[in-house]
Amino acid sequence: MKKQEKTGAEKKRRKGIFYSYAWSAPSLLLIALMVVFPILYTGYISLTNMNVYHWFDFTIVGLDNYLRALFVFDSGFLSALLATIVWTVVNMVLQLVIAFVLASLLNIQKLRLRKLYKTLLMFPWAMPGYVSILLWKTGMFNTQFGLLNQWMEKLGMETARWLSSDLSAFICCTVVNLWLALPFMIMIMDGAMQSIDRSYEESALLDGANWLQRTRYITVPAIKPIIAPAVIITVFTTFKQFDVVYLLTQQTGAKTGSGFHTILTYAYENAFITNNYGYSSAISIIIFILLIVFSAKFQLREEGDL
Amino acid sequence: MNQKKIKERVGLAALNVFFILLCFVTLIPILYALSVSFNGQNSLLSSDFSFIPKQFTLDNYRQVFLGEDIAAWFGNTVLLAASTVALSLSVAIPAAYCFSRRRFPGRRAILKCLVLLNSFPAILSMFAIYRLLRTFGLVNHRIGLILVYTGTMAVFSLWNTKGYFDTIPTEIEEAARIDGAGNLQVVTRIVLPLAKPSIVVTALMVLIYVWNEYIYATTLLTGEQNYTLAAGLYALQATEMSGSWPVFAAASITVSLPVLVIFFLCQKHMTSGLTAGGVKG
Repeated sequence: MKKQEKTGAEKKRRKGIFYSYAWSAPSLLLIALMVVFPILYTGYISLTNMNVYHWFDFTIVGLDNYLRALFVFDSGFLSALLATIVWTVVNMVLQLVIAFVLASLLNIQKLRLRKLYKTLLMFPWAMPGYVSILLWKTGMFNTQFGLLNQWMEKLGMETARWLSSDLSAFICCTVVNLWLALPFMIMIMDGAMQSIDRSYEESALLDGANWLQRTRYITVPAIKPIIAPAVIITVFTTFKQFDVVYLLTQQTGAKTGSGFHTILTYAYENAFITNNYGYSSAISIIIFILLIVFSAKFQLREEGDL
Repeated sequence: MNQKKIKERVGLAALNVFFILLCFVTLIPILYALSVSFNGQNSLLSSDFSFIPKQFTLDNYRQVFLGEDIAAWFGNTVLLAASTVALSLSVAIPAAYCFSRRRFPGRRAILKCLVLLNSFPAILSMFAIYRLLRTFGLVNHRIGLILVYTGTMAVFSLWNTKGYFDTIPTEIEEAARIDGAGNLQVVTRIVLPLAKPSIVVTALMVLIYVWNEYIYATTLLTGEQNYTLAAGLYALQATEMSGSWPVFAAASITVSLPVLVIFFLCQKHMTSGLTAGGVKG
Protein backbone atom coordinates (compact mmCIF):
# COMPACT_ATOMS: atom_id res chain seq x y z
CA MET A 1 0.00 0.00 0.00
CA LYS A 2 2.91 2.27 0.65
CA LYS A 3 3.74 2.14 -3.03
CA GLN A 4 0.44 3.74 -3.82
CA GLU A 5 1.23 6.78 -1.78
CA LYS A 6 1.62 9.88 -3.82
CA THR A 7 5.15 11.04 -4.43
CA GLY A 8 4.29 14.30 -2.71
CA ALA A 9 3.54 12.52 0.54
CA GLU A 10 6.65 10.41 0.13
CA LYS A 11 8.72 13.52 -0.40
CA LYS A 12 7.28 15.09 2.70
CA ARG A 13 7.99 11.97 4.70
CA ARG A 14 11.59 11.93 3.54
CA LYS A 15 11.94 15.57 4.39
CA GLY A 16 10.55 14.82 7.83
CA ILE A 17 13.08 12.05 8.39
CA PHE A 18 15.87 14.28 7.17
CA TYR A 19 14.87 17.07 9.53
CA SER A 20 14.55 14.67 12.49
CA TYR A 21 18.07 13.45 11.96
CA ALA A 22 19.41 16.92 11.24
CA TRP A 23 18.04 18.29 14.50
CA SER A 24 19.26 15.28 16.46
CA ALA A 25 22.65 15.26 14.77
CA PRO A 26 24.63 17.43 17.23
CA SER A 27 23.49 15.36 20.19
CA LEU A 28 23.99 12.04 18.41
CA LEU A 29 27.40 13.15 17.14
CA LEU A 30 28.59 14.01 20.63
CA ILE A 31 27.30 10.69 21.92
CA ALA A 32 29.06 8.92 19.07
CA LEU A 33 32.34 10.63 19.93
CA MET A 34 32.27 10.46 23.71
CA VAL A 35 30.26 7.30 24.38
CA VAL A 36 30.29 5.03 21.33
CA PHE A 37 33.83 5.63 20.11
CA PRO A 38 35.43 4.89 23.52
CA ILE A 39 33.56 1.60 23.71
CA LEU A 40 34.66 0.55 20.23
CA TYR A 41 38.21 1.70 20.84
CA THR A 42 38.30 -0.14 24.17
CA GLY A 43 37.03 -3.23 22.39
CA TYR A 44 39.84 -2.93 19.88
CA ILE A 45 42.55 -2.33 22.48
CA SER A 46 41.25 -5.28 24.49
CA LEU A 47 42.43 -7.53 21.68
CA THR A 48 45.97 -6.15 21.75
CA ASN A 49 48.90 -6.40 24.10
CA MET A 50 49.19 -2.64 24.58
CA ASN A 51 51.03 -1.94 27.81
CA VAL A 52 53.94 0.05 29.10
CA TYR A 53 56.42 -2.07 27.12
CA HIS A 54 54.38 -2.07 23.92
CA TRP A 55 53.24 1.50 23.80
CA PHE A 56 53.36 2.01 20.03
CA ASP A 57 54.33 -1.40 18.71
CA PHE A 58 51.43 -3.29 20.21
CA THR A 59 50.08 -6.26 18.29
CA ILE A 60 46.80 -8.10 18.14
CA VAL A 61 46.82 -10.98 20.61
CA GLY A 62 43.25 -12.15 20.16
CA LEU A 63 41.35 -13.13 23.27
CA ASP A 64 44.41 -13.55 25.51
CA ASN A 65 43.43 -10.68 27.80
CA TYR A 66 39.95 -12.09 28.26
CA LEU A 67 41.29 -15.55 29.00
CA ARG A 68 43.67 -14.09 31.54
CA ALA A 69 40.90 -12.17 33.28
CA LEU A 70 38.41 -15.02 33.36
CA PHE A 71 40.51 -18.14 33.75
CA VAL A 72 43.69 -17.15 35.56
CA PHE A 73 42.54 -17.19 39.13
CA ASP A 74 45.24 -15.04 40.62
CA SER A 75 44.80 -12.33 37.97
CA GLY A 76 42.70 -10.50 40.52
CA PHE A 77 39.70 -9.90 38.31
CA LEU A 78 37.59 -12.75 39.62
CA SER A 79 38.25 -11.82 43.23
CA ALA A 80 37.44 -8.17 42.44
CA LEU A 81 34.22 -9.32 40.77
CA LEU A 82 33.33 -11.44 43.77
CA ALA A 83 34.13 -8.57 46.13
CA THR A 84 31.95 -6.27 44.02
CA ILE A 85 29.04 -8.69 44.19
CA VAL A 86 29.41 -9.05 47.97
CA TRP A 87 29.73 -5.27 48.21
CA THR A 88 26.56 -4.71 46.18
CA VAL A 89 24.52 -7.27 48.13
CA VAL A 90 25.68 -6.06 51.56
CA ASN A 91 25.10 -2.43 50.67
CA MET A 92 21.70 -2.97 49.12
CA VAL A 93 20.39 -5.13 51.96
CA LEU A 94 21.57 -2.68 54.62
CA GLN A 95 20.32 0.27 52.61
CA LEU A 96 16.86 -1.15 52.08
CA VAL A 97 16.44 -2.30 55.67
CA ILE A 98 17.73 0.88 57.29
CA ALA A 99 15.88 3.15 54.87
CA PHE A 100 12.67 1.20 55.44
CA VAL A 101 12.93 1.42 59.22
CA LEU A 102 13.80 5.12 59.20
CA ALA A 103 11.10 5.99 56.68
CA SER A 104 8.54 4.06 58.76
CA LEU A 105 9.61 5.95 61.87
CA LEU A 106 9.45 9.25 60.02
CA ASN A 107 5.90 8.39 59.05
CA ILE A 108 4.65 7.93 62.59
CA GLN A 109 1.78 10.37 62.64
CA LYS A 110 2.49 12.34 65.76
CA LEU A 111 6.09 13.13 64.93
CA ARG A 112 5.92 16.90 64.63
CA LEU A 113 9.54 17.70 63.81
CA ARG A 114 9.53 15.35 60.83
CA LYS A 115 10.43 18.10 58.36
CA LEU A 116 13.44 19.25 60.35
CA TYR A 117 14.77 15.71 60.69
CA LYS A 118 14.27 15.06 57.00
CA THR A 119 16.12 18.21 56.02
CA LEU A 120 19.04 17.41 58.29
CA LEU A 121 19.19 13.84 57.04
CA MET A 122 19.33 15.10 53.45
CA PHE A 123 22.72 16.77 53.96
CA PRO A 124 24.86 13.77 52.96
CA TRP A 125 22.98 13.65 49.69
CA ALA A 126 23.29 17.37 49.08
CA MET A 127 27.03 17.58 49.72
CA PRO A 128 29.27 16.98 46.71
CA GLY A 129 30.07 13.28 46.93
CA TYR A 130 33.82 13.48 46.56
CA VAL A 131 34.04 16.20 49.21
CA SER A 132 32.14 14.03 51.68
CA ILE A 133 34.34 11.04 50.95
CA LEU A 134 37.51 13.08 51.45
CA LEU A 135 36.11 14.53 54.66
CA TRP A 136 35.41 11.02 55.90
CA LYS A 137 38.88 9.95 54.91
CA THR A 138 40.66 12.67 56.86
CA GLY A 139 38.04 13.67 59.36
CA MET A 140 37.08 10.22 60.55
CA PHE A 141 39.51 7.52 59.41
CA ASN A 142 42.84 9.37 59.32
CA THR A 143 45.22 7.92 61.87
CA GLN A 144 46.23 11.35 63.17
CA PHE A 145 43.36 13.79 62.70
CA GLY A 146 40.59 11.23 62.47
CA LEU A 147 37.87 11.47 65.07
CA LEU A 148 37.67 7.69 65.38
CA ASN A 149 41.22 7.46 66.65
CA GLN A 150 40.79 10.51 68.86
CA TRP A 151 37.83 8.80 70.49
CA MET A 152 39.70 5.53 70.78
CA GLU A 153 42.52 7.33 72.54
CA LYS A 154 40.12 9.00 74.90
CA LEU A 155 38.56 5.68 75.75
CA GLY A 156 42.03 4.30 76.40
CA MET A 157 41.90 1.90 73.48
CA GLU A 158 44.53 1.32 70.90
CA THR A 159 44.32 3.46 67.79
CA ALA A 160 43.80 1.69 64.52
CA ARG A 161 44.72 2.13 60.90
CA TRP A 162 41.18 1.92 59.67
CA LEU A 163 41.75 1.74 55.95
CA SER A 164 44.77 -0.50 55.81
CA SER A 165 43.37 -4.01 55.98
CA ASP A 166 40.92 -5.53 53.53
CA LEU A 167 38.07 -6.22 55.90
CA SER A 168 38.16 -2.98 57.82
CA ALA A 169 38.52 -1.03 54.55
CA PHE A 170 35.47 -2.86 53.24
CA ILE A 171 33.51 -1.93 56.36
CA CYS A 172 34.66 1.69 56.22
CA CYS A 173 33.73 1.94 52.54
CA THR A 174 30.33 0.43 53.31
CA VAL A 175 29.71 2.91 56.10
CA VAL A 176 30.59 5.84 53.83
CA ASN A 177 28.56 4.46 50.95
CA LEU A 178 25.53 3.99 53.21
CA TRP A 179 26.00 7.49 54.53
CA LEU A 180 26.00 8.82 50.98
CA ALA A 181 23.20 6.69 49.58
CA LEU A 182 20.70 6.41 52.44
CA PRO A 183 19.15 9.90 52.13
CA PHE A 184 18.01 9.21 48.58
CA MET A 185 16.58 5.84 49.57
CA ILE A 186 14.85 7.28 52.64
CA MET A 187 13.28 9.99 50.49
CA ILE A 188 12.03 7.46 47.96
CA MET A 189 10.60 5.15 50.63
CA ASP A 190 9.11 8.05 52.56
CA GLY A 191 7.40 9.33 49.42
CA ALA A 192 6.10 5.87 48.62
CA MET A 193 4.76 5.35 52.15
CA GLN A 194 2.95 8.66 52.08
CA SER A 195 1.11 7.54 48.98
CA ILE A 196 -0.39 4.53 50.76
CA ASP A 197 -4.08 4.92 51.40
CA ARG A 198 -4.51 5.35 55.17
CA SER A 199 -7.75 3.39 55.19
CA TYR A 200 -5.95 0.08 54.53
CA GLU A 201 -3.83 0.58 57.57
CA GLU A 202 -6.76 1.62 59.70
CA SER A 203 -8.87 -1.37 58.77
CA ALA A 204 -5.90 -3.65 59.38
CA LEU A 205 -5.53 -2.05 62.82
CA LEU A 206 -9.19 -2.68 63.51
CA ASP A 207 -8.71 -6.29 62.53
CA GLY A 208 -5.97 -6.49 65.12
CA ALA A 209 -3.00 -6.84 62.77
CA ASN A 210 0.31 -6.18 64.50
CA TRP A 211 3.14 -4.06 63.14
CA LEU A 212 4.92 -6.97 61.49
CA GLN A 213 1.77 -8.13 59.76
CA ARG A 214 0.88 -4.66 58.58
CA THR A 215 4.41 -4.21 57.24
CA ARG A 216 4.38 -7.52 55.48
CA TYR A 217 0.92 -7.44 53.96
CA ILE A 218 0.28 -3.73 53.44
CA THR A 219 3.34 -1.49 53.47
CA VAL A 220 5.80 -3.63 51.56
CA PRO A 221 3.46 -4.69 48.74
CA ALA A 222 2.20 -1.11 48.43
CA ILE A 223 5.59 0.58 48.14
CA LYS A 224 7.28 -2.14 46.11
CA PRO A 225 6.20 -1.01 42.62
CA ILE A 226 6.86 2.65 43.49
CA ILE A 227 10.39 2.18 44.75
CA ALA A 228 11.39 -0.50 42.22
CA PRO A 229 12.93 1.82 39.60
CA ALA A 230 14.93 3.71 42.22
CA VAL A 231 16.14 0.46 43.78
CA ILE A 232 17.24 -0.93 40.43
CA ILE A 233 19.13 2.27 39.65
CA THR A 234 20.79 2.13 43.06
CA VAL A 235 21.85 -1.47 42.48
CA PHE A 236 23.64 -0.28 39.36
CA THR A 237 25.27 2.74 41.00
CA THR A 238 26.43 0.51 43.87
CA PHE A 239 27.82 -2.09 41.51
CA LYS A 240 29.56 0.66 39.53
CA GLN A 241 30.81 2.43 42.65
CA PHE A 242 34.21 3.95 42.08
CA ASP A 243 34.58 7.15 44.08
CA VAL A 244 34.12 5.71 47.56
CA VAL A 245 36.63 2.92 47.19
CA TYR A 246 39.10 4.88 45.09
CA LEU A 247 39.16 8.02 47.21
CA LEU A 248 39.23 6.23 50.53
CA THR A 249 41.81 3.55 49.85
CA GLN A 250 43.21 3.44 46.32
CA GLN A 251 44.23 7.00 45.52
CA THR A 252 47.23 7.25 43.24
CA GLY A 253 50.24 7.77 45.44
CA ALA A 254 48.26 7.46 48.65
CA LYS A 255 47.26 3.83 48.82
CA THR A 256 46.33 2.71 52.27
CA GLY A 257 47.39 -0.88 51.76
CA SER A 258 43.95 -2.37 51.53
CA GLY A 259 43.44 -4.91 48.78
CA PHE A 260 39.71 -4.33 48.51
CA HIS A 261 38.86 -3.55 44.91
CA THR A 262 35.60 -3.18 43.08
CA ILE A 263 35.82 -4.11 39.42
CA LEU A 264 35.94 -0.44 38.47
CA THR A 265 38.87 0.46 40.70
CA TYR A 266 40.54 -2.73 39.51
CA ALA A 267 40.12 -1.73 35.86
CA TYR A 268 41.30 1.79 36.66
CA GLU A 269 44.38 0.55 38.44
CA ASN A 270 45.32 -1.71 35.55
CA ALA A 271 44.96 1.11 33.07
CA PHE A 272 46.49 4.05 34.87
CA ILE A 273 48.77 2.65 37.55
CA THR A 274 50.29 -0.46 36.00
CA ASN A 275 49.51 0.76 32.44
CA ASN A 276 48.23 -2.60 31.31
CA TYR A 277 45.89 -1.08 28.73
CA GLY A 278 45.08 -4.23 26.79
CA TYR A 279 44.16 -6.17 29.91
CA SER A 280 42.27 -3.28 31.45
CA SER A 281 40.28 -2.81 28.24
CA ALA A 282 39.30 -6.46 28.27
CA ILE A 283 38.03 -6.02 31.83
CA SER A 284 36.12 -2.91 30.79
CA ILE A 285 34.39 -4.85 28.03
CA ILE A 286 33.54 -7.70 30.42
CA ILE A 287 32.06 -5.18 32.86
CA PHE A 288 30.10 -3.62 30.01
CA ILE A 289 28.68 -6.97 28.94
CA LEU A 290 27.72 -7.79 32.54
CA LEU A 291 25.93 -4.45 32.92
CA ILE A 292 24.11 -4.88 29.60
CA VAL A 293 22.93 -8.35 30.57
CA PHE A 294 21.68 -7.05 33.93
CA SER A 295 19.90 -4.06 32.48
CA ALA A 296 18.35 -6.08 29.67
CA LYS A 297 16.99 -8.46 32.29
CA PHE A 298 15.54 -5.65 34.38
CA GLN A 299 14.04 -3.94 31.36
CA LEU A 300 12.37 -7.12 30.20
CA ARG A 301 10.87 -7.59 33.62
CA GLU A 302 9.65 -4.02 33.70
CA GLU A 303 8.04 -4.31 30.30
CA GLY A 304 6.49 -7.59 31.40
CA ASP A 305 4.94 -5.80 34.34
CA LEU A 306 3.26 -3.22 32.15
CA MET B 1 -6.64 5.38 79.39
CA ASN B 2 -4.28 7.68 81.21
CA GLN B 3 -1.60 5.07 81.24
CA LYS B 4 -1.94 4.61 77.53
CA LYS B 5 -1.44 8.33 77.01
CA ILE B 6 1.67 8.35 79.15
CA LYS B 7 3.02 5.40 77.26
CA GLU B 8 2.40 7.18 73.99
CA ARG B 9 4.15 10.32 75.20
CA VAL B 10 7.16 8.39 76.38
CA GLY B 11 7.31 6.60 73.05
CA LEU B 12 7.15 9.85 71.16
CA ALA B 13 9.83 11.42 73.32
CA ALA B 14 12.06 8.40 72.74
CA LEU B 15 11.45 8.70 69.03
CA ASN B 16 12.43 12.36 69.07
CA VAL B 17 15.56 11.65 71.07
CA PHE B 18 16.41 8.91 68.59
CA PHE B 19 16.06 11.22 65.61
CA ILE B 20 18.01 14.04 67.25
CA LEU B 21 20.84 11.62 67.97
CA LEU B 22 20.63 10.18 64.48
CA CYS B 23 20.82 13.61 62.87
CA PHE B 24 23.78 14.50 65.03
CA VAL B 25 25.63 11.28 64.26
CA THR B 26 24.89 11.70 60.57
CA LEU B 27 26.24 15.22 60.52
CA ILE B 28 29.41 14.49 62.52
CA PRO B 29 31.79 14.47 59.53
CA ILE B 30 30.41 17.78 58.30
CA LEU B 31 30.29 19.34 61.76
CA TYR B 32 33.83 18.23 62.46
CA ALA B 33 35.09 19.78 59.22
CA LEU B 34 33.15 22.94 59.98
CA SER B 35 34.60 23.18 63.46
CA VAL B 36 38.15 22.43 62.34
CA SER B 37 37.87 25.04 59.61
CA PHE B 38 37.05 27.74 62.17
CA ASN B 39 39.52 26.55 64.74
CA GLY B 40 42.93 28.00 65.53
CA GLN B 41 45.56 25.57 64.30
CA ASN B 42 47.11 24.69 67.62
CA SER B 43 44.26 22.94 69.33
CA LEU B 44 43.88 20.54 66.43
CA LEU B 45 45.75 17.60 67.86
CA SER B 46 44.81 18.11 71.44
CA SER B 47 42.70 15.28 72.69
CA ASP B 48 40.00 17.43 74.31
CA PHE B 49 38.42 18.25 71.00
CA SER B 50 34.95 19.75 70.90
CA PHE B 51 32.54 20.56 68.11
CA ILE B 52 32.54 24.22 69.06
CA PRO B 53 35.82 25.85 68.07
CA LYS B 54 37.74 27.13 71.08
CA GLN B 55 39.72 29.77 69.31
CA PHE B 56 37.46 31.07 66.63
CA THR B 57 39.40 32.17 63.59
CA LEU B 58 38.82 32.87 59.92
CA ASP B 59 42.48 32.31 59.13
CA ASN B 60 41.88 29.04 57.33
CA TYR B 61 39.32 30.63 55.04
CA ARG B 62 41.65 33.56 54.44
CA GLN B 63 44.32 31.10 53.47
CA VAL B 64 41.94 29.30 51.16
CA PHE B 65 41.09 32.47 49.30
CA LEU B 66 44.54 34.03 49.26
CA GLY B 67 46.99 31.17 49.43
CA GLU B 68 45.42 28.71 47.05
CA ASP B 69 44.30 29.29 43.50
CA ILE B 70 40.72 28.90 44.59
CA ALA B 71 39.49 32.10 42.94
CA ALA B 72 40.93 30.90 39.63
CA TRP B 73 39.44 27.43 40.20
CA PHE B 74 36.09 28.96 40.95
CA GLY B 75 36.24 31.00 37.74
CA ASN B 76 37.25 27.94 35.71
CA THR B 77 34.46 25.87 37.21
CA VAL B 78 31.80 28.49 36.56
CA LEU B 79 32.98 28.96 32.98
CA LEU B 80 33.16 25.23 32.37
CA ALA B 81 29.83 24.49 34.04
CA ALA B 82 28.01 27.31 32.25
CA SER B 83 29.36 26.30 28.84
CA THR B 84 28.60 22.64 29.43
CA VAL B 85 25.06 23.35 30.57
CA ALA B 86 24.45 25.70 27.61
CA LEU B 87 25.86 23.22 25.11
CA SER B 88 24.06 20.27 26.70
CA LEU B 89 20.69 21.94 26.57
CA SER B 90 21.13 23.29 23.07
CA VAL B 91 21.98 19.87 21.65
CA ALA B 92 19.60 17.87 23.84
CA ILE B 93 16.40 19.89 23.42
CA PRO B 94 16.05 19.70 19.61
CA ALA B 95 17.03 16.04 19.62
CA ALA B 96 14.65 15.24 22.48
CA TYR B 97 11.84 17.06 20.69
CA CYS B 98 12.40 15.07 17.49
CA PHE B 99 12.58 11.78 19.38
CA SER B 100 9.44 12.62 21.31
CA ARG B 101 7.25 13.99 18.53
CA ARG B 102 8.42 12.66 15.21
CA ARG B 103 8.37 9.09 14.02
CA PHE B 104 11.27 8.10 11.83
CA PRO B 105 13.09 4.87 11.03
CA GLY B 106 15.74 4.04 13.60
CA ARG B 107 14.06 6.03 16.36
CA ARG B 108 13.25 3.17 18.71
CA ALA B 109 16.49 1.37 17.98
CA ILE B 110 18.54 4.49 18.77
CA LEU B 111 16.64 5.16 21.99
CA LYS B 112 17.15 1.59 23.22
CA CYS B 113 20.78 1.59 22.16
CA LEU B 114 21.45 4.80 24.04
CA VAL B 115 20.29 3.27 27.30
CA LEU B 116 22.51 0.27 26.85
CA LEU B 117 25.53 2.32 25.77
CA ASN B 118 25.09 4.58 28.74
CA SER B 119 25.73 1.67 31.08
CA PHE B 120 29.40 1.78 30.08
CA PRO B 121 30.99 3.51 33.07
CA ALA B 122 32.39 6.87 31.99
CA ILE B 123 35.57 6.29 33.91
CA LEU B 124 36.48 3.35 31.69
CA SER B 125 36.26 5.58 28.63
CA MET B 126 39.02 7.82 29.88
CA PHE B 127 41.91 6.22 28.04
CA ALA B 128 40.06 6.23 24.70
CA ILE B 129 38.88 9.80 25.22
CA TYR B 130 42.39 10.91 26.07
CA ARG B 131 43.64 9.47 22.81
CA LEU B 132 40.76 11.03 20.89
CA LEU B 133 41.34 14.47 22.35
CA ARG B 134 45.07 14.23 21.78
CA THR B 135 44.44 13.55 18.10
CA PHE B 136 42.52 16.80 17.88
CA GLY B 137 44.94 18.69 20.08
CA LEU B 138 42.29 19.27 22.74
CA VAL B 139 44.10 17.84 25.74
CA ASN B 140 44.64 20.53 28.36
CA HIS B 141 42.08 22.65 26.57
CA ARG B 142 38.77 23.73 28.07
CA ILE B 143 36.88 22.91 24.88
CA GLY B 144 38.02 19.31 25.18
CA LEU B 145 36.67 19.00 28.68
CA ILE B 146 33.40 20.72 27.74
CA LEU B 147 32.91 18.23 24.91
CA VAL B 148 33.69 15.30 27.20
CA TYR B 149 31.26 16.46 29.88
CA THR B 150 28.52 17.25 27.37
CA GLY B 151 29.00 13.90 25.67
CA THR B 152 28.97 12.02 28.97
CA MET B 153 25.74 13.70 30.06
CA ALA B 154 24.17 13.75 26.57
CA VAL B 155 22.27 10.48 26.92
CA PHE B 156 20.87 11.52 30.29
CA SER B 157 19.90 14.98 28.97
CA LEU B 158 18.24 13.53 25.90
CA TRP B 159 16.26 10.90 27.80
CA ASN B 160 15.25 13.19 30.64
CA THR B 161 13.91 15.98 28.42
CA LYS B 162 12.37 13.51 25.96
CA GLY B 163 10.54 11.79 28.82
CA TYR B 164 9.03 15.08 29.87
CA PHE B 165 8.14 16.14 26.31
CA ASP B 166 6.22 12.86 26.04
CA THR B 167 3.95 13.96 28.87
CA ILE B 168 2.97 17.22 27.15
CA PRO B 169 -0.23 16.60 25.16
CA THR B 170 0.20 17.14 21.41
CA GLU B 171 -3.24 18.78 21.22
CA ILE B 172 -1.79 21.98 22.61
CA GLU B 173 0.72 22.10 19.81
CA GLU B 174 -1.87 21.25 17.17
CA ALA B 175 -4.07 24.07 18.39
CA ALA B 176 -1.16 26.46 18.11
CA ARG B 177 -0.42 25.23 14.60
CA ILE B 178 -4.02 25.83 13.57
CA ASP B 179 -3.61 29.35 14.89
CA GLY B 180 -0.76 29.71 12.42
CA ALA B 181 2.29 29.08 14.55
CA GLY B 182 5.34 27.70 12.76
CA ASN B 183 7.56 24.88 13.99
CA LEU B 184 9.99 27.17 15.72
CA GLN B 185 7.23 29.14 17.39
CA VAL B 186 5.53 25.99 18.63
CA VAL B 187 8.74 24.86 20.29
CA THR B 188 9.90 28.16 21.74
CA ARG B 189 6.52 29.56 22.77
CA ILE B 190 4.61 26.44 23.80
CA VAL B 191 6.79 23.40 24.43
CA LEU B 192 9.76 24.97 26.18
CA PRO B 193 7.75 26.95 28.74
CA LEU B 194 5.74 23.83 29.53
CA ALA B 195 8.86 21.68 29.81
CA LYS B 196 10.60 24.12 32.13
CA PRO B 197 10.73 21.78 35.17
CA SER B 198 12.54 19.05 33.29
CA ILE B 199 14.87 21.52 31.62
CA VAL B 200 15.74 23.00 35.01
CA VAL B 201 16.41 19.54 36.45
CA THR B 202 18.51 18.53 33.45
CA ALA B 203 20.53 21.73 33.68
CA LEU B 204 21.03 21.20 37.42
CA MET B 205 22.18 17.62 37.02
CA VAL B 206 24.70 18.66 34.37
CA LEU B 207 25.83 21.56 36.53
CA ILE B 208 26.32 19.36 39.59
CA TYR B 209 28.08 16.73 37.53
CA VAL B 210 30.59 19.26 36.22
CA TRP B 211 30.96 20.83 39.65
CA ASN B 212 31.81 17.48 41.24
CA GLU B 213 33.87 15.78 38.52
CA TYR B 214 37.51 15.43 39.47
CA ILE B 215 38.98 12.42 37.59
CA TYR B 216 38.65 13.80 34.05
CA ALA B 217 39.53 17.28 35.22
CA THR B 218 42.78 16.19 36.86
CA THR B 219 43.69 13.93 33.95
CA LEU B 220 42.88 16.26 31.06
CA LEU B 221 44.05 19.52 32.59
CA THR B 222 47.56 20.31 33.69
CA GLY B 223 48.77 23.28 35.66
CA GLU B 224 47.04 24.00 38.93
CA GLN B 225 45.76 27.41 37.79
CA ASN B 226 43.67 25.67 35.11
CA TYR B 227 41.96 23.32 37.56
CA THR B 228 38.32 23.25 38.47
CA LEU B 229 37.28 23.40 42.11
CA ALA B 230 36.86 19.63 42.26
CA ALA B 231 40.23 18.99 40.66
CA GLY B 232 41.89 21.60 42.83
CA LEU B 233 40.42 20.24 46.03
CA TYR B 234 41.43 16.74 45.04
CA ALA B 235 44.97 17.91 44.33
CA LEU B 236 45.02 19.86 47.57
CA GLN B 237 44.24 16.81 49.68
CA ALA B 238 46.53 14.55 47.64
CA THR B 239 49.64 16.71 47.83
CA GLU B 240 49.78 18.79 50.96
CA MET B 241 47.27 17.04 53.11
CA SER B 242 49.32 16.43 56.19
CA GLY B 243 50.08 20.07 56.84
CA SER B 244 46.78 21.62 55.97
CA TRP B 245 43.79 19.65 57.15
CA PRO B 246 42.16 22.82 58.54
CA VAL B 247 42.70 24.61 55.23
CA PHE B 248 41.37 21.59 53.40
CA ALA B 249 38.32 21.56 55.67
CA ALA B 250 37.74 25.25 54.97
CA ALA B 251 38.13 24.67 51.24
CA SER B 252 35.69 21.73 51.38
CA ILE B 253 33.07 23.82 53.10
CA THR B 254 33.59 26.66 50.63
CA VAL B 255 33.26 24.37 47.62
CA SER B 256 30.20 22.60 49.01
CA LEU B 257 28.23 25.71 49.90
CA PRO B 258 26.98 26.60 46.39
CA VAL B 259 25.93 22.99 45.80
CA LEU B 260 24.12 22.85 49.15
CA VAL B 261 22.28 26.09 48.38
CA ILE B 262 21.24 24.87 44.93
CA PHE B 263 20.20 21.50 46.30
CA PHE B 264 17.98 22.82 49.04
CA LEU B 265 16.47 25.50 46.81
CA CYS B 266 15.51 22.92 44.22
CA GLN B 267 14.92 19.94 46.47
CA LYS B 268 11.31 19.45 45.40
CA HIS B 269 12.15 19.61 41.69
CA MET B 270 15.09 17.29 42.20
CA THR B 271 13.20 14.39 43.66
CA SER B 272 10.19 14.62 41.37
CA GLY B 273 12.26 15.33 38.28
CA LEU B 274 14.58 12.44 38.93
CA THR B 275 12.11 9.83 40.02
CA ALA B 276 9.76 10.67 37.14
CA GLY B 277 12.52 10.05 34.63
CA GLY B 278 13.83 7.14 36.61
CA VAL B 279 17.39 8.46 36.35
CA LYS B 280 19.73 9.30 39.18
CA GLY B 281 22.77 11.42 38.52
